[in-house]
Amino acid sequence: MAVSRTTLKSLYGVCGVVYRQPLLFPSSLKCASIQITRSKFERDYQRPGQPPDTRWPWQMINFDFSKGVESVRKHFGLLKDEFFQRWIGPEGKPIIEHMLEQTRVVWEFRGPESLNEWIVSSDQEIGGRSVAYVSLGKNNTTCLLYGTLSSTPPRDGETRYSGYCSMRSKPPKASFDRKKHYDWSSFNTLHLRIRGDGRPWMINVSAETYFSHQRDDIYSYFLYTRGGPYWQDVKIPFSKFFLSSRGRIQDSQHPLWLDKINTIGFTLGDKADGPFQLEIDFIGLNNDCAHTEEFAYELYKKNP
Amino acid sequence: TDRQNRTDIEKLVEDETHHKDKTLVTHDDIFDRAAGDSKTKVEFNRVVDVFKSKDIRRRGHVEFIYAALKKMPEFGVECDVTVYNKLLDVFPKEVFVPQNFIQRMFNHYPRQQECGVQVLEQMENYGVMPNIETKVLLVQIFGEKSHPIRKFQRIMYWFPKFKHTNPYPVPHVLPSDPVDLAQFSLTRIAADLDAKITIYQYPSTDITETGEEITRPHIVGIQSPDQRSLLAKHNPCKPVFVEGPYPLWLRQKCVHYYLLRADPIPPEEKVEEEIDPEMICPEQSLFFPQRVELDLKVDMGDDHSFNVDEVEEGAVYAMCMAGQGDQATLSQWISGLQETCPILGQIPTVFRLESGPRELQTSTDDHQRPEQEAETDQIIEDDEEPRHSRGVKQ
Repeated sequence: MAVSRTTLKSLYGVCGVVYRQPLLFPSSLKCASIQITRSKFERDYQRPGQPPDTRWPWQMINFDFSKGVESVRKHFGLLKDEFFQRWIGPEGKPIIEHMLEQTRVVWEFRGPESLNEWIVSSDQEIGGRSVAYVSLGKNNTTCLLYGTLSSTPPRDGETRYSGYCSMRSKPPKASFDRKKHYDWSSFNTLHLRIRGDGRPWMINVSAETYFSHQRDDIYSYFLYTRGGPYWQDVKIPFSKFFLSSRGRIQDSQHPLWLDKINTIGFTLGDKADGPFQLEIDFIGLNNDCAHTEEFAYELYKKNP
Repeated sequence: TDRQNRTDIEKLVEDETHHKDKTLVTHDDIFDRAAGDSKTKVEFNRVVDVFKSKDIRRRGHVEFIYAALKKMPEFGVECDVTVYNKLLDVFPKEVFVPQNFIQRMFNHYPRQQECGVQVLEQMENYGVMPNIETKVLLVQIFGEKSHPIRKFQRIMYWFPKFKHTNPYPVPHVLPSDPVDLAQFSLTRIAADLDAKITIYQYPSTDITETGEEITRPHIVGIQSPDQRSLLAKHNPCKPVFVEGPYPLWLRQKCVHYYLLRADPIPPEEKVEEEIDPEMICPEQSLFFPQRVELDLKVDMGDDHSFNVDEVEEGAVYAMCMAGQGDQATLSQWISGLQETCPILGQIPTVFRLESGPRELQTSTDDHQRPEQEAETDQIIEDDEEPRHSRGVKQ
């Protein structure tokens, strides 16, 4: 559900005057602010004090003929692409290119359509007061994630900590909403070109799991931004990502399996209340031959 | 009848007195009453000592420890490991140690273990590293294979792992001098080891002849040789812009910096650098050639560059941090820059500033132009627009 402007207005009224720092490159588009939140069915957190949703399943579906026609066209287009890409090679690439490529750009932010794959969320949807938005930077390039972080917990009697803002990519979908994954087996390093304001972030990679109770398992690592007007190239080997679930680092660690990657995300939660800003140029993969580490953390027996 | 009324009144008074005697006294009140006005580590330790000596059985120690954890930031002891050890010492010893595997399996004394975990959780949140004394205390209180010991082991494993992962470390205690803080911040964001820091103005307070007090803010600038050469090659017909303030977060502190930059160069005006003919003449040394033109095909397996279009941005010529963000102060910075870059005197300077939370608008020649208003359009229309200060310095 998209957050309406009235809600934002009332929130500003409640919090008083929300001062917002000027952006490094304010967007020239007036309506470039895209407020994307996660869809209804992806949200499984129920706020304390909220009554359960007792609507029937068919009451959540909205019937629309034009959307149906558009959906049919999209799905059959995807099906045609899947069929004809097999003659060229894996994922539509020639086999020689697939075997020899050393770098790959997975997400490149050019134009408004490149923001459609990202979901922005903050603890506002669970009762907190942080806000996060995503828009395009100057000249309709680079993804700009900005907002205000507030670590005041909601007064519901249960929540102990609060204050996060995150942006996550949507899982890739095949035709007719079938599940699809990224295959990053040929690479060992994540490469980002970012520009921040000095705050530390977390990069989260979500892989496919076999059991449904592992739904919250993510592989995280830190993203330290330098700040300032210059771009910053960040290289994070996949061996550095550690397994965490619901914000807790797990005792049983194992390396990230790169053949079934679902999403990548950025989370800010450093408990420094105030405005934040992160600009992303592209997210790519790299095969660093000098990095031979398989996993950075010990795999000892748990609870000896 | 009078006797009955008097008896009832006496009973009511007695009940009220009895009720008052039984009112609960919370542990927060103990801290507030004991500290009074001064809230220091000594007072905190004294409250803990009083509680420990009050009762040998230490009744209510879980509630006391929770209250103490909540009061720690007020007393300023939240980053002191000895205070955490003293707080763990409030637990009775050897009482919660499980005697057999059945007790260990079924979460022996769950509330006390949860309280111990919360103490360690607060240490983790504030980045406090436990020490050997912490481990000895936890083993004496809860035993070897308890939840607080597991939490302690996790902290001792992951804290050293992530201690040196930050490529841009920030000290725990930032310098309080604004000039030192500005130097540290500018060195961080310059991303160039050759960049030179110049202090154009120190903070000072003068009193003029008329008795008026004038406060001069500090101005610290940084510029690298590359930026200086770029500025020297700037076209004097095009203006340069002073933009800011931009935020930079150092732990919990937000500082602001300003930029001197130009607009991106249009594609038709880009000129390639002329190569010195001396370097490519036939008399050059074959062993140390200045320029090699080999038309070799690069294999795809050796290509490590990313196929991404470059983001077109204007060049950044200099950066500065000042105590005030008004145009007069930044004009002094521009004047200081002219000592090393005389071309700045011929280049028109446009100030594209926004007011910050602590800055004062003292500019007098404040007139707005529609071109710049269009450039600084707000993204969120509902947001309250900050005041703008613009001007042209010729």
